[in-house]
Amino acid sequence: MDDGGSIARLGLPPYLRSKLLACGYSSIADLHGASPLDLARDASISSDEALSVLRRIGATPAPIAGAKTAWDLMSFDRSRSRIGTGCSGLDRVFGGGVASKELTEICGAPGIGKTQLGMQLAINVQLPRSLGGLNGHAVYIDTEGSFMMERVLQMAQRSALVTPDQSVESLLSHIFYFRVFDSTEQIATINSLNKFLEEHKEVKLLVIDSVTFHFRQDFHDLALRARLLNSMAQKLMALAHHHELAVVLVNQVTTKGNGEIRPALGESWSHACTNRVILRWEGGKRQACMFKSPSLPPAKSSFSITTRGIGE
Amino acid sequence: MEVIRGRQRVTLGCAVLDQVLEGGFPCGAITELVGESTAAKTQLALQLLVTVQLPGSLGGSNGSAIYIHTEGYFPGRRLRQLASAFQSSRGLGFDPCDNVFVEAVGTIQELIALFDRLEQLFEMQREMPVRLLVIDSIAALFRSEFENNRAEMVVRAATLFQVSAKLKRLAHRYDVAVVVTNQVMDCMDGSSGIQIGNLAELVSSRRRVAPALGLAWGHCINIRIFLSRSQEFLEATAKRPKLDHQDVAEVSKSTKRELHVLFAPHLPYRSCEFVVNQSGIHGVLDDDRENA
Repeated sequence: MDDGGSIARLGLPPYLRSKLLACGYSSIADLHGASPLDLARDASISSDEALSVLRRIGATPAPIAGAKTAWDLMSFDRSRSRIGTGCSGLDRVFGGGVASKELTEICGAPGIGKTQLGMQLAINVQLPRSLGGLNGHAVYIDTEGSFMMERVLQMAQRSALVTPDQSVESLLSHIFYFRVFDSTEQIATINSLNKFLEEHKEVKLLVIDSVTFHFRQDFHDLALRARLLNSMAQKLMALAHHHELAVVLVNQVTTKGNGEIRPALGESWSHACTNRVILRWEGGKRQACMFKSPSLPPAKSSFSITTRGIGE
Repeated sequence: MEVIRGRQRVTLGCAVLDQVLEGGFPCGAITELVGESTAAKTQLALQLLVTVQLPGSLGGSNGSAIYIHTEGYFPGRRLRQLASAFQSSRGLGFDPCDNVFVEAVGTIQELIALFDRLEQLFEMQREMPVRLLVIDSIAALFRSEFENNRAEMVVRAATLFQVSAKLKRLAHRYDVAVVVTNQVMDCMDGSSGIQIGNLAELVSSRRRVAPALGLAWGHCINIRIFLSRSQEFLEATAKRPKLDHQDVAEVSKSTKRELHVLFAPHLPYRSCEFVVNQSGIHGVLDDDRENA
């Protein structure tokens, strides 16, 4: 493996070289241990381009699933900060799992599985890294009353089977649950999170389900609503970075004139989230489609919801 | 921060139906019963007014109930019939009609004003706290008050969210199951629009239908239960003893009624046939179909 010197030695096209330099990769040593996806995201290049860079230094990046050698596993572990969903197709849509330090929006019609996914992530974040978790805890802000303990318990059974030291009770106890009943409470709770997260440093996931519900009533002044939502998004982004959290925002959908669905909360909200995934029914199966991401191509995958949770 | 706790359920008074719902309709949430006008939504709602009062030993919530009707008609006689049937079959020492509070509203404003008065009722009831709030139907209130243009639909959606938020706050604060009935509309052009819930198509009386009040209202409820009906034509053979014992085919009509879980955070898709008779609504175990 090529070990020394600046990246100028690699013979990369100038635009690639300058993008790598711009985000801090100036020597070949810097590139060691970078996963293709993290590199793609940091440098704002495509995953193919990232792969080609890494191959030039002799690293053969392992695919996310099925890493074989100890070196592969170690670098995969160190560089990955994503939470697995329990479905490999869904993970692929999210670029390997739901990313830390980013805002990811999940929108869809009632009953498609947004809350199911939120609850599943709140369990999965607690798993060890080798199983797609971050060994972390979760904060769940419930604005609609859809979070049901009975269902979380049922999902936790599957995880408890594979992690004997994490019982169902323990998994449940590490989901910090907040119930809010109007937009004022929602904003106040988010404002109080910084302090909460300082006191609970194990929290690695924040789910807000849904961010939308309380903002679809009483807001005759849409400009005000847009300002409040933007300010909320900025605070969430700051929390995501400062506390190294994955932030998942559940959103609702509305119909366009032609009967198709689109995310709720309007045009200004569309800039708030780093990644946007839409869940919908297609041909009798549930589908997830990533339609906005800084580094990932639009990807689609089917998934299912079983008694054990999110599955293939 | 709150402790995550399980929710009390309001039993439907039938072991088969309760199993489909894993116990009954949850407190702290809004369950919608949607179906065409003769689908038995009000029948089921009336039954809940009684079953919520059952003592814990009989699977009930030992609670009282509020019934808000919006179409100017309170089915008092049927409630008395159901109350009497449950009183005798379960050996209740009281008349369930005594613990049902009935209110009539004609407009959305009246409904919202009523919520404030209801809080007082929730606070007062101690021996048999209110565990069930029924609104029958939500559709009637909203369909008459808004015109069918884009601007009005936006206002209608905002009002739906406002009503839902108030209901959810009451439901959570006082641990009450909110059950709301909704009507259906026929689907235009044979298309069901976007799929909402587990079934791509909702069919009742051979028509494709969709719940009223749109996608917005779908986002306002936690659980959607679809009650369908269809006419079945059964051929049966019958012996006619008076004649020459020849088998004769007879065609009889019967109504097949089904309950479907369209969406619920804690339930997979399930459906169950049920019948309605004098003593109430009863689920039917079908040996040929998996009910799990």
